[in-house]
Amino acid sequence: MGYVDVAGVRFTLPDGRVLLDDVSFRVGEGACAALVGENGAGKTTLLRIISGDLSPDGGSVARTGGLGVMRQFIGSVRDDITVERFLVDLAPPAVRDAWDAVEAAELAMMEADDEPTQMAYASALAHWGDVGGYDVEVTWDTVTVAALGVPYDGCKYRGLDTLSGGEQKRLALECLLRGPDQVLLLDEPDNYLDVPGKRWLEERLIETRKTVLFVSHDRELLARVADRVVTVEGGGVWVHGGDWAGYPAARTARHERMAELRKRWDEEHERLVDLVRTLQQQAKNSPDMAARYHAMQTRLAKFEAAGPPPDRPPEQQVAMRLRGGRTGIRVVVAGQLELTGLMKPFDLDVDYGDRVAVLGANGAGKSHFLRLLAGQDVPHTGSWRLGARVVPGFFAQTHAHPDWLDRTLVDLLWHGEPGRPGVDRGRAMATLRRYGLAAQGDQLFRSLSGGQQARFQVLLLELSGATLLLLDEPTDNLDVLSAESLEQALAAYDGTVVAVTHDRWFARTFDRFLVFGADGRVYEAPEPVFDEARVQRTR
Amino acid sequence: MPTALARSPHQDASIDLAVSRLVAEFGHRLDQQTVVGVVRSCRQDLSGSPADALPELVERLARYRLTQD
Ligand SMILES: Nc1ncnc2c1ncn2[C@@H]1O[C@H](COP(=O)(O)OP(=O)(O)OP(=O)(O)O)[C@@H](O)[C@H]1O
Ligand SMILES: [Mg+2]
Repeated sequence: MGYVDVAGVRFTLPDGRVLLDDVSFRVGEGACAALVGENGAGKTTLLRIISGDLSPDGGSVARTGGLGVMRQFIGSVRDDITVERFLVDLAPPAVRDAWDAVEAAELAMMEADDEPTQMAYASALAHWGDVGGYDVEVTWDTVTVAALGVPYDGCKYRGLDTLSGGEQKRLALECLLRGPDQVLLLDEPDNYLDVPGKRWLEERLIETRKTVLFVSHDRELLARVADRVVTVEGGGVWVHGGDWAGYPAARTARHERMAELRKRWDEEHERLVDLVRTLQQQAKNSPDMAARYHAMQTRLAKFEAAGPPPDRPPEQQVAMRLRGGRTGIRVVVAGQLELTGLMKPFDLDVDYGDRVAVLGANGAGKSHFLRLLAGQDVPHTGSWRLGARVVPGFFAQTHAHPDWLDRTLVDLLWHGEPGRPGVDRGRAMATLRRYGLAAQGDQLFRSLSGGQQARFQVLLLELSGATLLLLDEPTDNLDVLSAESLEQALAAYDGTVVAVTHDRWFARTFDRFLVFGADGRVYEAPEPVFDEARVQRTR
Repeated sequence: MPTALARSPHQDASIDLAVSRLVAEFGHRLDQQTVVGVVRSCRQDLSGSPADALPELVERLARYRLTQD
């Protein structure tokens, strides 16, 4: 069992803004606490402070029980690592160090086979045994079988980037939930998981006796799992001690109370200022009044120095707009299309204005299908084409944009790219403001939070004039309000939408459902299908 | 890397294999007694190593020491 205790933590961003101020809360033994807040509020930053990745400018973090951490963007940062390395990195530090020592000793033996090198190797192995390394390897085997359907030895050298986003998440979760660490920090663990995967996660989180602090924007997950809710907003943190059902009311009540306290402070402030002014006049003729005037001045100064209580956080504003444009009736025509090794051949017609949700299990090839339509190189047989005036616009959060990372948003908007005209700073800032990114205009893309990156990518779609939107898991990472705004923008969009999604709520706003079945069959369903079994494929 | 820690009481059976292989390899210039002695002392020096890895470690070290002789 373990706990996390955060006391008086303060964190300042490189640009000088105070992101978190005087943050204190505790996640007690066995709790399953949700960490919520709008995109960019500081949830990931807070988790990174707790895990020791970042050091706060003030305050402290205490914890016990060994810490397991799952990051928000699994796999997209260090794409060239193997499954083996990925699992090692998720292991407790002692195991990780012992592993690295064995690897180093193995390497040394390739160079020299003398006695000291051999003894060093033997002792590295002994140490590996001492830290429980052999048991860990047995766990890894269980984990890869559960997550990928293959034993550890069969997949350890596989590149992590050959796994789908959902498979990577599942692998990490299996590993952490079965591992020895008693405190788990999970940053958006449900992103990319298919619906059976999400349900599995819900069950595991309910039954685990570990202490869990998890970030999520998924209301179904929050409602089923969280036994308390930690909110990051307005630079601070507050805790709702109950479950999700009572949260909205608690939050409203809190905001009203804050507004009320602030109003009282303002009124009192005004009263004191008036009083000082009056006394100042009277002090001119009466020495007695002069003393009272000075006393009152001191009182006002003290009152102001103590500062006003925090006001209620401003309501978030996000207004996405997607215009599109008229195209030919036939937008996508596919005949006996088969993405090599992923599915059985299928036919598909998508017409102008259709809203097609692509559903199915992790690893079924949905993202590959979208990439093919976006014009990327995807091995396939059969035929496909886009109709007249169809301009695809592709959105994928797992898609790495190495060339964006070290440029600012205003710069990226200024330059434009083929199919997306550049815009001047004024227009760029106005658009960024609508996406709740005004303060981020001069930030590098790499420093944006997950949800801010997602919002920015929708913004690029808005500017691109695409008439066919190809969206891969667009609501993952988006906070609730942004996801709603995206839904509204799609509803008003004059064009065609094909979206891969595991978001149960978002999927229901579509009118066609293309299911990538577990048996390799691609078929259309009249209703969303969420329980296609895991794809069983020999790899 | 070995995959499991098997704590077999008969672990020295696999070391016997090492002995016969090394005798075949070095028998032309060393007598069996010497080889067995070297293997034993390697086994001793490597006690504390994971049982599963032991045969490989012992054979490797013994071969190295016999070559140096
Ligand atoms: N180098 C930087 N300069 C300025 N601001 C930064 C920098 N790095 C991060 N930030 C800002 O810090 C804030 C907090 O980011 P964080 O990743 O913690 O948010 P989050 O709550 O996890 O959001 P999301 O829900 O989108 O994942 C964001 O507004 C981000 O833009
Ligand atoms: Mg985050």
